[in-house]
Amino acid sequence: MNSEKGRRKGLFVFRMQEYGVGYLFMLPWMIGFAAFVAFPVGWSLYNSFNTLYFRAGGFSYTWVGLENYKRVWFENSNYRIELITLLQELVIIIPLILIFSFFVALLLNQRFPGRGAMRAIFFLPVIFATGQVVMELFTQGAGELPFIEQYNIEAIIHKNFDERTAASLVGILSQAVIILWYSGVQILIFIAGFQTIPKTIYEAIRVDGASPWESFWKITFPAMVPFIGLNAVYTIVDLFTFPFNSILGIITSNMFSPTTGYGYASAMAWLYFALVLLLLSVTLGLTYRATKGR
Amino acid sequence: MLNAVRKLRKQISFPRIVLIVFLTAVGVFMLIPIIFLFNHAFKPLNELFAYPPTILVKQPTWRNFEQLLLSSTAGLVPFTRYLFNSAVISAIATGAVILVSTMAGYVLSKHRFHFKTMIMGLILISLMFAPETVAIPRYLVISGLGLKDTYFAHILPFLASPLAVFLMRQFIDQIPASLTEAAKLDGASDMYIFTKIIIPLTAPAVATVSIITFQAVYLDVETSTFFMTKETMKTLAYYATALVVNVPGVAATSLAAAIGLIMFLPNLIMFLLFQRKMIQTMLHSGVK
Repeated sequence: MNSEKGRRKGLFVFRMQEYGVGYLFMLPWMIGFAAFVAFPVGWSLYNSFNTLYFRAGGFSYTWVGLENYKRVWFENSNYRIELITLLQELVIIIPLILIFSFFVALLLNQRFPGRGAMRAIFFLPVIFATGQVVMELFTQGAGELPFIEQYNIEAIIHKNFDERTAASLVGILSQAVIILWYSGVQILIFIAGFQTIPKTIYEAIRVDGASPWESFWKITFPAMVPFIGLNAVYTIVDLFTFPFNSILGIITSNMFSPTTGYGYASAMAWLYFALVLLLLSVTLGLTYRATKGR
Repeated sequence: MLNAVRKLRKQISFPRIVLIVFLTAVGVFMLIPIIFLFNHAFKPLNELFAYPPTILVKQPTWRNFEQLLLSSTAGLVPFTRYLFNSAVISAIATGAVILVSTMAGYVLSKHRFHFKTMIMGLILISLMFAPETVAIPRYLVISGLGLKDTYFAHILPFLASPLAVFLMRQFIDQIPASLTEAAKLDGASDMYIFTKIIIPLTAPAVATVSIITFQAVYLDVETSTFFMTKETMKTLAYYATALVVNVPGVAATSLAAAIGLIMFLPNLIMFLLFQRKMIQTMLHSGVK
C-alpha cells in the first residue's frame, strides 16, 4: 500500500519534471510567438470588428460588429475584382506549376551523369523564391524575359492565334520565370515522394510484362497523389502570401487611408485569410478522398 | 581502356542525351535572372538604359560599386553604416533563431507536455498568415515595450519564427526516440542530450534554418521602415529600397544595379555552402 503510494508519487514527480523541462525549452519561443505573432494577430481580429482611427494620443475604437466585413464585400468593388482576377490567375498557374514540377522531378529522378549538379540548379530557386529576393529581382527587371521583346514573340503569337488564346498565352509566357522559380520546393517534394516507392514493385510489374507507360499510371501516379495534394497546398500558401499580390497591396494601402482606417483593412485581411483556409481545406479534402478511394 | 569506352557508351543512350539536353535548357532558363543580376551590376550607364535590355554586359566596369561605397543618404549617414547594421543584425538574429527553434523543436518532438498539438496547430496556421497584415499591432507592441530604435526591435520579432520550429521538429522526428531514451537511461540530463545528441544530429536542419532566417532578416525592409525613426539604425535592405527616392536622377539606376548584387550575394554564398545539407532537410521534412 505504502510502496504503491510512493511509486505513484515518484511517477508524478517524474511526469512533472518531464513537463517542466518541456515547458522550459519551449518558453523562449512561446514568449516571442505570443508577443510578436499571436497577440498582433488576435488584435487585428478584434480590430476588424471595430472602426478605428488615429487620434492624438492613440486609437479611438468604435464597435461596429460585422459592418466592416459587409462594407468590404458589398461596397468595395475593387477588392472583389482583384480577388476574382487573382483566383483566375491561380487556377491557371497552380496546375501549371504542379505539372511542370512533377515532370521535372520525374526526369531528375532518372540516373544520368551530372545529376547532382542539375539537381542543385533546380533547387536554387528554393532559397531565392522567398518573396523578398524575387521582389529584388523583379525591381531589377529580371523577371520579364528580355527575349520576348527581343525576338518579338508577342507579335508572332498574336498573328498565329485568335485574340483570346493569344492574350492568355502571352500572360503565361510573361510569367514563365515565376512558374519556374516557384517550382523549386515542389520538385523537391516530388523527388522525395518518388523515393518512397520501393524499387521491388517496379521490378515485379516489369516481370509481369507491363510497359513503362503502364507502370507509370498504375504504380507511380497513384503513389504520388498524396504528394500532389501536399504540393498543391504548398503552392496555394506560397502564392497567396506572395508580396506582389495585388490584394495585399490593397490591404496595406487601406491601412493608412483616412476614410477607411485600420479596422477596415483588418477585415479585408481576415476575409482573405478565410478564403485561403477554405481553398486549402477543399484541396486537402480532395486529396484525402482520392487516396482513400484507392 | 576499351572497357571504359564501352561503359561510357552504355551510359550515353539516345533518350538519355535528350533528357540531359532538355534539363540543361530548362536549367539555363532558370539561371537567367541570376546571370542578369550579375551582369547588370557591372554595366556602364549607357548599357543600363539600353532598350531592349541586354542580359550580358559588354564593357564591364566597377563604377557602380565605387559610387555605392561613396554614397550616403542626404549626406548624413554613410553607406557603410547600413552595411554594418545589416551584418550585426543578421548574424545575431540567425544565431538566436537557431537556438530557440532547436530547443522548441526538440521538446515538441521528443517530450510530453500539455498543449503540444495546440502549439503545432498554431504554427501551421501562422505559416499561412501574411505578415504584412499585422504590421500595426506589431508596431504597437514594439513601441509599448520601448524597443523602438534599438537592435532588439530588429531581432526579437524574428525569434518566433513558426517556419524554423516546424522544420526543426520535422527533422528531429527522424532521430529515433530510442536514442534519446537510451541516453536518459544512462543518466544523461536533458541539457546533455540536447547539446551532445540533438544539436550534432540536426546539423543539416540547422543549415537550412540559418539560410532561411538569414535571408528573411537580411532582406527585411519593414522593421526599418516602421520601427526605426533614427536613420543610423536602419539596414541595408531599407537603404536599397529608399535609394530610388533619395538619390536623384540617373545615378539611382547605377546604384540600384550594384546594391541589387550586394543584397543577393550573401544568399548565394550561403546556398552554395549549405546546398547539400539543405536538400537533405527538405527531403526529410517534406515527407512525413
